[in-house]
Amino acid sequence: MIQQLIINSFIIGCTYALIALGFVIIYRTIKFFHFAHGVVYAAGAYLAYTFFILLNINPLISFFLSVVLTSVLGIAVDRFVYLPLRKHKSPSLVFLLASFGVLIFLQNLIQLIFGAQILTLRTGPIKEGYHFLGALITDNQILIIVSSLVLFFLCWLFVQKTKFGKAIRAVSDDPLGARVVGINSERVIMIAFAIGSALAGAAGILISLETNIEPTMGLNAILKGIIASIVGGIGSIPGALFGGLFLGLAENLGIWKIQAGWKDAIAFVILILFLLLRPSGIMGVKTDKEKI
Amino acid sequence: MEYLIHILIIAGIYVIFTLSLNLIVGFTGLAALGHIVFACVGAYTSSLLALNLGISPWIGLITGAILASILGAIVAYPSLRLKGDYLALATFGLGVIVYSVAKNWVSLTRGPMGLPGIPSFSIFGYQISNVWSYLILVLTFVLITYQAIRNITNSPFGRILKGIREDEIASQAIGKNVNKYKLIVFIVGAFFAGIAGSLYAHYSSFIDPSSFTIMESITILLMVVFGGMGSLKGSFVGAFLLVILPELLRFLGMPSSVAAPLRQMIYGLLLVILMIWRPQGLMGKYKFK
Amino acid sequence: MTMLQIQNLYKEFDGIKAVDDLSFTVEDNSIVALVGPNGSGKTTVFNIISGFLKANKGRIIFDGNDIISLNPFKIARLGIGRTFQNIRLFPQISVLDNVLLGLKYETGHRFSSALFQTKRMKKEEADNKKKAEELLKFVGLAEKRDALAENLSHGQRKLLELARILALEPKIFLLDEPIAGLFPETKRTMFSLIKKFKASGKTISFIEHDLHSVMDIADKIIVLDHGKKIAEGTPEEIKQNKEVLKAYIGKDTL
Repeated sequence: MIQQLIINSFIIGCTYALIALGFVIIYRTIKFFHFAHGVVYAAGAYLAYTFFILLNINPLISFFLSVVLTSVLGIAVDRFVYLPLRKHKSPSLVFLLASFGVLIFLQNLIQLIFGAQILTLRTGPIKEGYHFLGALITDNQILIIVSSLVLFFLCWLFVQKTKFGKAIRAVSDDPLGARVVGINSERVIMIAFAIGSALAGAAGILISLETNIEPTMGLNAILKGIIASIVGGIGSIPGALFGGLFLGLAENLGIWKIQAGWKDAIAFVILILFLLLRPSGIMGVKTDKEKI
Repeated sequence: MEYLIHILIIAGIYVIFTLSLNLIVGFTGLAALGHIVFACVGAYTSSLLALNLGISPWIGLITGAILASILGAIVAYPSLRLKGDYLALATFGLGVIVYSVAKNWVSLTRGPMGLPGIPSFSIFGYQISNVWSYLILVLTFVLITYQAIRNITNSPFGRILKGIREDEIASQAIGKNVNKYKLIVFIVGAFFAGIAGSLYAHYSSFIDPSSFTIMESITILLMVVFGGMGSLKGSFVGAFLLVILPELLRFLGMPSSVAAPLRQMIYGLLLVILMIWRPQGLMGKYKFK
Repeated sequence: MTMLQIQNLYKEFDGIKAVDDLSFTVEDNSIVALVGPNGSGKTTVFNIISGFLKANKGRIIFDGNDIISLNPFKIARLGIGRTFQNIRLFPQISVLDNVLLGLKYETGHRFSSALFQTKRMKKEEADNKKKAEELLKFVGLAEKRDALAENLSHGQRKLLELARILALEPKIFLLDEPIAGLFPETKRTMFSLIKKFKASGKTISFIEHDLHSVMDIADKIIVLDHGKKIAEGTPEEIKQNKEVLKAYIGKDTL
């Protein structure tokens, strides 16, 4: 029983971590909570549904097309909504509210087009899982775990080792300094949105192999993603992974002891505890910055 | 005609919400995103007292408002430590938690089944049951709320709130105990939101958790921002327009499967447009800075 | 009589010593200038004194009380009035309201006074409005009383910040770079105002990074470099001090 719990925690944790991953890469360049990331995630799933189920396009091509289009969607949100706000030098709260507006708008647009009913990417009967360490795990679940870990490793490599990754870190740590050394921060932001949104789309598709597709999946996902990011240490890629796994474990342990309906409440209690007691998260570094 | 009065009553209740949130967000500049929880506490308190203990709705109203303000004091605590978007996230979280309590603590709240048969108010034995008398009741509370908040903001105390909104550090540097003011503002804002919640409960005679979701909080925030932060008249305008809007959609004969998401799409679009082009809303003088 | 005494103040950020074993005093009714190149820790010292930053070690005795662990608003109420390097006004409210916020109310500031619109509150409002207008006249901003603070010029903002501090009626003024970014004429106005404060019995300490400009006005100059005090004395003494010259110009003779 406990082994299944841990496996389930790991799977859920990986899904949260995947959402957090794209979110964190974007967050590092724009420094506010890009809530609309959730609906980009949902768009990935719905696009895959459209290509694969409705239009019967080859699954790999469907995946590729969906990810490209969600990447474009993410960039579009930045260009049309956040860029004007950057020009106005708005405070981060304004960005957050605008982001919320985008999420609500697009989420309901999805509902308008596809309806509120539950959809699925799965075709055919559900395959039985394999036995692993005393618990059951299915093909899709293995795919989710493996893809998450691979994507995390790739992103970490990208940010640490490549030129673009260094540029992202520069813009993240010191936007003015980055500009002084000739880094075009707008281009860096666009790259971050491209990659982060593609990751969101990929996450949406992968997770939809395992769970259902419905219009509010975006909001739920990004909330967990943000909580995972904060718990892990906002801005930290390994933090997103640990935060996601931590959240998955805490939720599953929680509902093992109390009713399943309290799952969301547990997640938010954890969020509030971290915000008040350890805002830098698990991996974050405490800084005693002077702000006066 | 009766339907029109019903709309006015709902609009009036939302005006009370919007005024109470405007005090916290518009005048004091605190990013409070879970305001509906106070209405939830007010509504459930008042209803449960009436249904389970036969207590008069008037007492239920006051009790609900007091309990709501106690929750307000609790919610104030994160506002002392967190700023801007972090506070928004924390208050959003509190909204989810309270909603979860309403939905899952079935032994108290009957969960998703809700509380039916909530009795209405009565004055000197006369039950307030038709829409006209309810309208008068709601309008009375609207006037009380408006006058109270107008007094509060149009004073040295109110000026200090605006100072906190503009610059907390400067406010401290001139000797203001910023934490005390934040606490008072949350308590007062929660109090009036609790009243609005009770009014709603006794008017509609049925409540369930779905009336108190996080989307409601966003809607009320939108009303404040749209009408104008720091503008009391703006709160009237914002609340009215955003209550009338979904009704207009229904009027145009759209099926609810279209009207519901369309309404939210308009809210979302409105929020984005406001943030980019007119963050001070229709009548506000204050822009987020 | 010593109004303010800093004892062995120490503050570290991420391993960097911002303030390193600093001690100095500010005598009653004197003008003390805190001088040093950028990054020498001057504003950090003011932040610690006014309570916005917690020191790692040290004591601050103000008017007989150790204030090192008090909240900023309490320190302000005890009589320390400070301005900020980046000017902290209340931008979207009027110039008059900015000053009114600094003035004292006996009961008029209370929630109950507001809610019930008491006569006391209205009287205090009226009296304070007159006081605020006087203060604006004193700093030369009288015609701007209804303008929004964010619409003032840089020099006018500095004067407004000063007016607001005056409203506080502090025992000691801590002015952070009061003449930064001002035209020469406004600089002169600012300094003559500071001299007027001293003449009326006030105590002033101010931060300045340009050593020359403080020579005519300061009674005592304290020179900081990398968080340490490298010199303390009258303008005459400082002029001769080799350490100071080295820090500023890089050689020890002029």
